[in-house]
Amino acid sequence: MNIHEYQAKKILSRYGIKIPKGGVAYTPHEAKRVAFRSTLRGPWMLKAQIQSGARNKGYFLEKKAGKGGGIRLIKSRRDIVTEAEKMLGSTLVTVQTGPKGKLVGRLYVEAFTKVNGIFYAGLAIDRLNAALTLLVAEVVNYDISELAVRHPERILKIPLDLEGETTPEQVRQVMDFLKLPPRCAKNLEVFINGLHRAFIDNDAVMIEINPAGVTKGGEIVALDAKISFDDNALYRHQEILRLKDDYEASERELQAAKYRFNYSEFDGSVGLIVNGDGIALAAMDLLRGKGIGTACFLNVKGGVDKDKIASGIKIIMTNPRVEGILINILGGFLRCNLIADGIISAASEVGLNVPLIVRFEGTNKDEAREILEKSKLPIIMAETMEDAVNKLSDAVEENE
Amino acid sequence: MSILVNKKTRVVCQGITGTQATFHIRRSLDYGTNVVSGVTPGKGGEVHLGLPVFNTVKEAKAETGANASVMYVPAPYVKSAVQEAVEAELDLSVCIADGVPVKDMLEIKAMLKGAKTKFIGPNTPGIITPGQARLGIFPENIHTPGKVGIISRSSTLTYEAVIETTRAGEGQSTVIGLGDDMLIGIDFVEAVRQFQDDDETRAIIMIGQAGGTFEEEAARYYQRLERKKPLIGFVAGNAVPFGHKMGYAGDIMTNGHVSAQDKKDAMAAAGITVVEKINDIHKELSKIFALS
Repeated sequence: MNIHEYQAKKILSRYGIKIPKGGVAYTPHEAKRVAFRSTLRGPWMLKAQIQSGARNKGYFLEKKAGKGGGIRLIKSRRDIVTEAEKMLGSTLVTVQTGPKGKLVGRLYVEAFTKVNGIFYAGLAIDRLNAALTLLVAEVVNYDISELAVRHPERILKIPLDLEGETTPEQVRQVMDFLKLPPRCAKNLEVFINGLHRAFIDNDAVMIEINPAGVTKGGEIVALDAKISFDDNALYRHQEILRLKDDYEASERELQAAKYRFNYSEFDGSVGLIVNGDGIALAAMDLLRGKGIGTACFLNVKGGVDKDKIASGIKIIMTNPRVEGILINILGGFLRCNLIADGIISAASEVGLNVPLIVRFEGTNKDEAREILEKSKLPIIMAETMEDAVNKLSDAVEENE
Repeated sequence: MSILVNKKTRVVCQGITGTQATFHIRRSLDYGTNVVSGVTPGKGGEVHLGLPVFNTVKEAKAETGANASVMYVPAPYVKSAVQEAVEAELDLSVCIADGVPVKDMLEIKAMLKGAKTKFIGPNTPGIITPGQARLGIFPENIHTPGKVGIISRSSTLTYEAVIETTRAGEGQSTVIGLGDDMLIGIDFVEAVRQFQDDDETRAIIMIGQAGGTFEEEAARYYQRLERKKPLIGFVAGNAVPFGHKMGYAGDIMTNGHVSAQDKKDAMAAAGITVVEKINDIHKELSKIFALS
């Protein structure tokens, strides 16, 4: 689960990390109030609160938003309201949002902070070595996205413990790497310790400060902040669950999440219902080979409740993009007969007006086939995944 | 022969009295798996599915000689269940649950360092040596004993790979689902090493998934091997546009290489036969077995 910058900054400030003075605003006039509360003289920063990186290099889809990106420097008081008006209610597109972009419903307004230097700091999981790792890089001449691919050797990586105790030696390593002046030492220690503790305490999977600023006085300030939490650990963090922004997800995504299914939407025309991400990806590859795009896929995982499965299938059946449905279930944990029951129950409620291809394999597959055959629904059965994709492709063409 | 489990493996089931465990252990017993006991804290002394139930893994080991465990416990209890398996010094522990928190897995991986216990999972269908032992949730009816070793990060594609061996007229020596969580126990390198050392295994199938660098590591390992068994690789995910993401930390960890194509390129460069469609695996298998 991702949260917004202003939420991340609030959490980090509780761990002693310095952030510029500011607050969140939902209307242009609120933006002005928050701005004046932060500093009367300015300048100010207006920052679109969508969950994405590279907002400053993004662009808005609407003309009224003007040419600027998702992060704007405001120098005069009278520009606060007009700029906020442009950004609020507009759609911001960045390299990380995809072409549809994300609607900006709130701004973070803060006092512009003058800094002498900036650097990147991140905390992430090194999957291969199963270690929490601190990432630090200079980002004055290069963007971090560029460094990651072209100059990975210029990124310092330090494994951290799981107790949240950064050692003085590790702090010194970062000091030397960034060539920071001695007056920064204490502040850097607080900064790194804060990130480390915040990560451990809150079951984060990623924290990123891009960038952190170094002020003339040697203070380290988080100019931006991103936190991603581990979805699987949210059950032990009710306070974080409350930060979830439902506007970031579509209606159908929210429904699927309610049943703990994985659901993703794309631009194509076929709906996939599967019981593993791997099989969904493989089916999408095969469909693409036939020139067919995927509209959405639903992974019911090990779902064992017939009603839940029916609700999941309804999500796909009611997606207006869907012109054909492919159900590919390899029963292990999941018993195929439950899916068959779910298909019938969903079809009886919302109707079945697009071709439906079903392929069952594994646990209780014969029982499942029998259930579908008895139902007399116009369902086409397939033997292999490739067979299912071929039959779907034929059926969709015929339907046109 | 086989790897990690066979008919001699004495299996204890952790969380045996649960619904899913009951369903699957009954099937594993019917399959001929040597399940010797179960563990459910607080239910020691009971008998379930005809097996003695103990409060701890240590007791189960002492009383019934168990040397491997399969756990069907829910995600929040996985960490303590693994700790028990490690402390009891079992040879192998298999975890089916999905949704284990990353921090718990970091702690589990630390526990496993230098431990005797090998860990498979989490979020995996488990491990099966056809005709001998089933630890997990595999649909056993699709398996036949044979000479192909299968390693997979994707549960459902594991079954596809099994069906492909059948289409080629071959069976499987052992099938391992590694699990597709962020952090996993045994990885491709360890599994390939085991299959390389297994006399029965004549060919290996490896099913990867986008994300992480487990496949690249396996490719590097395979490339350095002097005597290579034929290895067929598949990675799903070419058609998926990069979804919404947040930040760059993930890119840094993998130097920006995370796509299915990156993995396939690395595998092909190491001498692995990479197929574009999973349903093409049987053709490559037939070629391999026609040669020998």
